[in-house]
Amino acid sequence: MDLSLDESQQILVDTFSEMLEKECPTTHVRECEDTGLSTSLWAQYCELGANVMGLPEAAGGLEMSLLELGLVATQSGQALAPVPFLEVATVGRLLAAIAPEDPLLGAIAEGQISASIALPRPNAVGGTRTTAGGRTLVPFGTVTDAVIALDGDTLYVAEGGDARRSGSLKNIGDFAIAHWDLDRSSNARVLATGDAATKAMARANAEWKMLAGFWLTGIAQRALAIGSDYARERIQFGVPIGGFQAIAHPLAECAIRVDGGELLCWEAAWADTEDSERFEMLSSMAFTWGAQTAIRTADIALHTHGGYGFSTEYDIQLFYRQARALSSIGGGAKEELQTVAELCFDRDGSGQAESLLGGC
Amino acid sequence: MDFRLGEKAAEVQREIRAFLKENFSEEDRKEAAEDGGGHNWDLYRKLAAEGWVSAGWPKGYGGGDRDPYENLTLYWELCKAGFPWIGLLNNGFIGHTLLAMGTDYHREHFVPKIAAGEIAFALGYSEPGSGSDVASARVTATPDGDEWLINGEKMWTTTAHTAQYVFMLTRTSTQDRPHRGLTMFLVPTDAEGVEVTPIHTMGGERSNGVSLSNVRIPDVNRVGEVDRGWSVVRFALGLEQAMGYADLQERFIQNAGKWSLETGPDGERPFDDPRIKEQLGQTAIHAEVSRLLRHRSTWITAEGKDLGGKGAMTKSFSGTSYLDDAQSWMDLVGPAGLLKEDEDGALADGNFDEAFRQTPVNTIYGGTVEILRSLVAEVELGLPKSR
Repeated sequence: MDLSLDESQQILVDTFSEMLEKECPTTHVRECEDTGLSTSLWAQYCELGANVMGLPEAAGGLEMSLLELGLVATQSGQALAPVPFLEVATVGRLLAAIAPEDPLLGAIAEGQISASIALPRPNAVGGTRTTAGGRTLVPFGTVTDAVIALDGDTLYVAEGGDARRSGSLKNIGDFAIAHWDLDRSSNARVLATGDAATKAMARANAEWKMLAGFWLTGIAQRALAIGSDYARERIQFGVPIGGFQAIAHPLAECAIRVDGGELLCWEAAWADTEDSERFEMLSSMAFTWGAQTAIRTADIALHTHGGYGFSTEYDIQLFYRQARALSSIGGGAKEELQTVAELCFDRDGSGQAESLLGGC
Repeated sequence: MDFRLGEKAAEVQREIRAFLKENFSEEDRKEAAEDGGGHNWDLYRKLAAEGWVSAGWPKGYGGGDRDPYENLTLYWELCKAGFPWIGLLNNGFIGHTLLAMGTDYHREHFVPKIAAGEIAFALGYSEPGSGSDVASARVTATPDGDEWLINGEKMWTTTAHTAQYVFMLTRTSTQDRPHRGLTMFLVPTDAEGVEVTPIHTMGGERSNGVSLSNVRIPDVNRVGEVDRGWSVVRFALGLEQAMGYADLQERFIQNAGKWSLETGPDGERPFDDPRIKEQLGQTAIHAEVSRLLRHRSTWITAEGKDLGGKGAMTKSFSGTSYLDDAQSWMDLVGPAGLLKEDEDGALADGNFDEAFRQTPVNTIYGGTVEILRSLVAEVELGLPKSR
């Protein structure tokens, strides 16, 4: 057993941490609230190879593992970086696996936000599966020109974004989301059909969920740090409020959950190559727990601030809103819990599969 | 990065599962649950004969030199199977402590008999009124020539009714701060003046109260220096906190999953109800996170590093999440959830009933969740002392 990062992984963390500290202070996050995207920051990401980290060498990639992508996602979450790292990483790897010659992949390697993904939501609450007019809310749908989606057992690219996407939409997280009309009767290119299609999307969905789990863990870590700093500094009744159990214990409970969340993300990423049968289930768990933990932690940290936390002047409200927003982009924890149960107990639908609880 | 416990632990898992298959029947499990005492001499001697009591001790002292991952696996498998393993846990620990902190006399007189499964010790820290403040112990040990006279009341002394000795925390001084006047003794349960009375719990466990009236103990039964007993207790509590209940959580969720996939008397599968799936997902995540936190504690220990607040994290999370889940499940499954194992119509072998009754204590004993959270806040978050 070894639960530590190796030297190159630590260097990767430090590199992104330093870059983000410089390039993405919360003042920059606020500057990007209108569009939900920082093109200058994304250029920095691409300079460090973030757009091709998880791609094979043949696609101009760095062949890094999902754990390494996850570490970048956690740093991004800590900084609330307004960049499409999750979507670009997921779409790039999907294309590299099933359509390595696709021009969208080449564009990703050049740093373009060439495509996003419409995540499948098999357990969505009835009436919420699509948005108005049968459309789908797509992350970074305001800036991308193509979206990869699954319809039945057909995996396709919906192209021609100008005719498909809505305008930008004001939203809780100040995210770059837009409605997309994913109709595939025109301007759609089939990538795969049948088993290959559903498997590729299941895989891409699991990767996005896992990476989002890392990102949410980063949001939770920074929210916890902000809340704890405040609890140490803020004086009430003559003492720091962190000395009151009513303040300290909820923060401690969050610290425990955040640590558990980080371990769960790491385990999911590690399982990709070392315990592959459990990868999809652990990814689903990592997203769900990341969402629950980030929302709870941002809430507790905000509450620790009293009324100040509620004012836009303080940063903690950014974390509260973004934790919620990223969780909802993935469908939300309640929806995903059902997927966790299916993947754990009934992954083949037979009702007979051995549960995937317990590791090796 | 590697999340595997390793080949040696996998071998222990195979051995213990084989041992259980051979020696621990479904009848034995039910008997152990009914008895609730946490110790069964027949089964215990069989484990001792295969070297499992002394498994974690150094080889030089006749121990098995098993690493922390192997010990984790040993306890995990026994606990998950419903084996009465408390005696094993306590005696493995006490034997190790005597080897490390005891005298030659202890090492020669007690340790081999512990290893052989001939004698067993109960842990005697808690007292009526001591609660979370373990260092407030009031049972007194007063010197009398070469001997000591012990007086007072102990409580929650689990296995004292089947053990030959109690590893007892006593007050030997009130001159300094409370934790600087404590001394450990090995007190025979058959000594004159010792009386053991049962305490029964809602969870089905049988624990004990022990009253001590002018109990005369030779000085050779003292462990460690006079007034320096606190370090022994702290070590023991740390060990317990780093464990938690992930093994029981895994058993619980496996039972719930199995039950949910079977067709019920009304012809439907509980699994097909989104409310059940949601709870299954949540409980499975809690079990996984508890397991990971426990594995991390074990890894830190195996690396010889300081646990900081991470042992406390393990028990705090495990205790609270298991309790939450037990209560949520009971609320989901209707009146049949109330039925105990073997009653007509009981669900999931009565596991919902059992978990509901047993989990409240997990956030209390071995360090309440409040004590643990204070520790985490101070050590991990750098917040001021909050009590």
